[in-house]
Amino acid sequence: MSGLRRRLRPLVIPFLAVISAFLVGSIFLIFTDIPALQKLLAGNPLDFLVTAVGNVVKAYTALLTGAFGDPGKFVDAFRQGTPEAWATAFRPISETLVAATPLIFTGLAIAVSFRSGVFNIGGDGQFVLGALGATAMALLLRDLPAPITLVGALLAGVVFGMAWGFIPGFLKARTGAHEVITTIMLNYIALQIVQLALRTPFMRPATGSEPISKVIDFARVPQLIPLPGLRLHWGFIVALIVAALVSYFLFRTTKGFELRSAGLNLTAARYAGMSAGGSIILAMVVSGALAGLGGAFQVMGTVTQMSNDINSGYGWTAIALALLGGTRPGGVVAAALLFGALNNGGHEMQIETSIPLDLLIFIQALVIMFVAAPDLVRQIYRLKPKGDETGAPAEEGAAA
Amino acid sequence: MRLELRDITKQFPGVLANDRISIAADRGKVLGLLGENGAGKTTLMNILSGLYRPDSGEILIDGKPRVFDDPAEAISAGIGMVHQHFMLVPVFDVVESVALGSEPVTGVARTFDRAVARKRVQELSVQYSLDVNPDAKIEDLPVGVRQRVEILKALYRKSDILVLDEPSAVLTPGETEELFGIIRGLAAGGTSVIFITHKLNEVLEVADTITVLRRGRVAGTVLPNETSREELANLMVGRDVELTVARGEAHPGEVVLELKDVFVRNDRDEMAVKGATLEVRAGEIVAVAGVQGNGQTELVEAITGLRHLDSGHITIDGTLVDQAKPRKVADMGVAHIPEDRMRDGLVKAMTVAENYILDSYHREPYSKGGRFDRDAIAREAAKGVQEFDIRTPSIETHVGSLSGGNQQKVIVAREFSRPVKLVVASQPTRGLDVGSIEYIHRRIIEQRDAGAAILIVSTELDEVLALGDRVAVMFSGQIVGVLSSEQATKEAVGMLMGGVH
Amino acid sequence: MTAAATSPRAIVPAASEAHRRAARSARIRGVVICVLALIAFGFATNTMGDKVTFKFWLTEQGKAFIEIPTSPGVLWILAGLTTGLTGLWQLWKGASAAWRRWLILWLPFWVAAIVGTMLAGKTATLTNLFAGTFEYAFPISMGAFAAIICERSGMFDIAVEGKLLVGACVGSIAGSMCLQVLGPETGAVVGPIVGPAFAALAGMGIGLLMAWLAIRYKVDQIITGTVVNFGALGLTNFVYLRVLQTYTDYNTPPTIERIQIPVLSQIPVLGPILFQATPYVYVGWVVMLILTYFIFKTRWGLRLRASGEYPQAAGTVGINVIAIRYRAMLLAGAIAGFAGSYLSLHSAGSFQMNMSAGKGFIGIAAMIFGAWNPIAAFGAALVFGFADATQQLLSTLGVDIPPQFLASVPYVLTIVVVAGLVGRVRGPAMAGQPYEQG
Repeated sequence: MSGLRRRLRPLVIPFLAVISAFLVGSIFLIFTDIPALQKLLAGNPLDFLVTAVGNVVKAYTALLTGAFGDPGKFVDAFRQGTPEAWATAFRPISETLVAATPLIFTGLAIAVSFRSGVFNIGGDGQFVLGALGATAMALLLRDLPAPITLVGALLAGVVFGMAWGFIPGFLKARTGAHEVITTIMLNYIALQIVQLALRTPFMRPATGSEPISKVIDFARVPQLIPLPGLRLHWGFIVALIVAALVSYFLFRTTKGFELRSAGLNLTAARYAGMSAGGSIILAMVVSGALAGLGGAFQVMGTVTQMSNDINSGYGWTAIALALLGGTRPGGVVAAALLFGALNNGGHEMQIETSIPLDLLIFIQALVIMFVAAPDLVRQIYRLKPKGDETGAPAEEGAAA
Repeated sequence: MRLELRDITKQFPGVLANDRISIAADRGKVLGLLGENGAGKTTLMNILSGLYRPDSGEILIDGKPRVFDDPAEAISAGIGMVHQHFMLVPVFDVVESVALGSEPVTGVARTFDRAVARKRVQELSVQYSLDVNPDAKIEDLPVGVRQRVEILKALYRKSDILVLDEPSAVLTPGETEELFGIIRGLAAGGTSVIFITHKLNEVLEVADTITVLRRGRVAGTVLPNETSREELANLMVGRDVELTVARGEAHPGEVVLELKDVFVRNDRDEMAVKGATLEVRAGEIVAVAGVQGNGQTELVEAITGLRHLDSGHITIDGTLVDQAKPRKVADMGVAHIPEDRMRDGLVKAMTVAENYILDSYHREPYSKGGRFDRDAIAREAAKGVQEFDIRTPSIETHVGSLSGGNQQKVIVAREFSRPVKLVVASQPTRGLDVGSIEYIHRRIIEQRDAGAAILIVSTELDEVLALGDRVAVMFSGQIVGVLSSEQATKEAVGMLMGGVH
Repeated sequence: MTAAATSPRAIVPAASEAHRRAARSARIRGVVICVLALIAFGFATNTMGDKVTFKFWLTEQGKAFIEIPTSPGVLWILAGLTTGLTGLWQLWKGASAAWRRWLILWLPFWVAAIVGTMLAGKTATLTNLFAGTFEYAFPISMGAFAAIICERSGMFDIAVEGKLLVGACVGSIAGSMCLQVLGPETGAVVGPIVGPAFAALAGMGIGLLMAWLAIRYKVDQIITGTVVNFGALGLTNFVYLRVLQTYTDYNTPPTIERIQIPVLSQIPVLGPILFQATPYVYVGWVVMLILTYFIFKTRWGLRLRASGEYPQAAGTVGINVIAIRYRAMLLAGAIAGFAGSYLSLHSAGSFQMNMSAGKGFIGIAAMIFGAWNPIAAFGAALVFGFADATQQLLSTLGVDIPPQFLASVPYVLTIVVVAGLVGRVRGPAMAGQPYEQG
């Protein structure tokens, strides 16, 4: 088999999974299109099909332009040449990358945990507490020069995330407590902690009683593209760098080797002298740190204000990303970019066609399902069966 | 009720488990099925109990051919199987466990009529002197009683044919005597009993007829009062041992491994090793023979630090290693070739190179300060592949795609790539082709000649006799005999393996 | 663990060593409990001066009531007495004392005393508190029942949340369509039946999907659960925003009235608490009782439990484990879907986005807390419900305790239980493992 085909082979299932998910999504779109359905009931099946399918096409087109940009706007920008015009042209891509940034962090977090045979479902809690920690530290250090405040805040986010990952890791290593349950519980506890914290005068803005924090724009992560109003910030670059670091960690360091061995065959790892408990705890701590960093960057770079809504299900999406990306950091980044595009484009789609972007959450769930059941995809598309690695923890290593 | 298996043949990938086997059991008689591990006894019984279908041959009950598609059909035909590994739900009590699958029910909700079931269980328990408390929870029962619950299961379903697979494997001598009493009682009551074992004494004591299986075939059928232990041992272990490698003289030096009165528990919290005492010196190979399940696994795990000792002492090179961790033991110069290479020794999805450094990745030159030196790893792995003649497309190939022999060579290369004082090898050539077996034997002897102490645990008698400068035999958790290589004849070892001493 | 055997077995020293350790920890436990009793008495002296009034409706809300003026100090004394008795008994009995069961004796008094202290100076209507506990506990406990059935059969179930949500959505739509199609009179009668029924069907559909993916395609059950939770949220939000928000006719189901059980609802004090609830609560009790009976007393239950604990043992006696698991998932889906309809048809009167708000997970927590036993899980749901209702009561009365503390109670308790800090709670041994037949 040629080198290119071999490289592309692992992409077949994820690709088909995404296509299939969108197809199923279209079916739901069509059958909730009440105006079109009314045409069907009025006895106009052709009319119904044309309208319905037309709506679907409109929706997905809006999705694409919202995610990547409208060629028309680029042409305008060329002609006008003003920074504002360019900003308008680049905004979709910028927003896509902004949306992808937290996903890269959390996706890496879950990928690391899956690789080590641990199911970290606590990405949400670790992310949120990371954001909280960053906010708190930023407020604490606000009188110091901005770079110091920023770095301090980011570090605080990492520490909070590590702590929240350590708890379930430790419990599993010591007592065998199932990490799925403990991490989910900790997610909810984290939410409560955040709510509580946002009520304290330290965090609360001077006026108003909403559960949001003071604005943290005094130590903002610098903008990446020097055009007015583009939110893309250096956090994205850091995310890519972190992905490379995670790759290095997993594949080039001894600790990463231990984690991977534990995830693939815990028994053999034990026989070879590795410490099972140590690997579990390390995996959870690293995972929590990554998610916490993601939360920190989200609050310090993107939203500049801590609130209850800072997390849009990044922890759960991260599971999809880890699976989709075959738990390789590179794959996770690619999947995060895809989902970032979907989420961002979804906003645009919602604005233009009033189709709720929750459809994309549904589509994402379908993607997970198809990726996790490759044999199903193969059956549907009549592909040849083959041993396939989706990257989820091997059965010996995971305590599912 | 006469049971006959005629010309049963069953092929598995790579091994002919049953090769035209014919056995017969009469009503009220006990048939002893004798054979080593791998002789094909369990496969035969799994066919009889409906878990497998034979490739050819037939099962005849009272002269009529029967086909079983699943265990339920075998059960309703009157065949009751008492497995070696009990099929009992730990949290159920005896009544529930026995009745499961054939529960008496009442009422519209199909309520489990426990009283009816309990009464029947109690009746059977008394009738056959099984003496089981119906209300006890399975997990609270000692192993011997659990086995009786399994027997009750078969009786409850009115089995005419009771098959017991290595029943005494988990019993003490006293419990075994009780079991024999029960078997005799069952036979007197008209049940046919098939008693599978590797223990010569037992089969002589309780069977009416003895059929010996060897390597998938019937080696002979004899009557207990017309045969002897020696003949049985001979039938069981068979052809002449071919010494595939010239072993040469051993020059034993200092004691490297010392086991004193070692007691080790297994995962089910039973005592698997019951007072093992052994010495292995530098420059000699001590081969431990014995049928699987006599405590060898736990003993090896204790020596290599994977399992805690209950009591006793293990000393390696003068240092006490009673509760040491595996890495510490390995750092002392101990090489471990584990019993199940896929489960314990290799990570299937990792490359040859990665498996090569699986236990020494934390040391130089492979890594420094936590970072890998890719070149050094590749270099050393390539050296290992060359030196140990590992047939692999490259060192980056996934180890799961190598043949069994080459996989084992990866482990051997890994373990022998550093200076070793003690080699602990468990079933080192299990499932390998002749060429690989020869190769591994040669490397082991090389290590011995280089001054290492070697402890080999093997269920293959040929291997034991070929390699052992001294031969120890493990039976029922104890070292029941240590023979010099002159004393270690097939018969002598076979008898010890069968529990005669 | 092993009963007295007839043969020489393990080493004697190990046994007595374990005994000595157990005796020592029992003594420490006893001392700690006694110290707690003293602390309770200390609080009692502190709070003797405060007053708190507990109010109960007698037979009906808004009508006659009784008031019990008391002091938190009295509650603390009661707490101290029960704690002290338990401590002394622990010290006397030593290692054999079943101290975990006795927690039920003195912990409630501590809770009452703490709550009483927080309510100092106020009048609290406890009828609503307790009735609210049962109401809140309904979806939780039903979720727990669904999860229990799944897990006992050997399937991991973390998708209760998604099933609740879908049940809520479908129930509302089905009920509303009844009104639309059958008109206001017939619809109001048929709707309350059709709505929950369709919700249950939707739940069954989800159960079937999950079972199919896990059994046929061996998809990891945590992933199937995640897919369902995720997908249900997205789908129901989508349907709400796209259809229900505009076409509100499809989201105005008929209301399900409370039912007053004749005779029983007239019992003073207890009547308004227990017997004047929405029919869902009564269904919940019935399901709890029937389920407990079925799991532990019938053949179905025996085979179910065998499939979850040791499926090979069931397989070798001819039981079809796969069929049992499929059926279990269907039943669980039905129960969870039905419970979901409670959220939209009773609580809010219509479907709202993310109505379940984590109740599915609390249900799982209740299952663990109740050691996979429906009655105990119901008790756990009551505990969680009590925490929630108390928090509501406190905020209504203007007590300044952050609601987050009480809201965290279920989650913290679950972690404590899962980590084995209150004794090992062991789920069905083979939950989550795919079963290979033969």
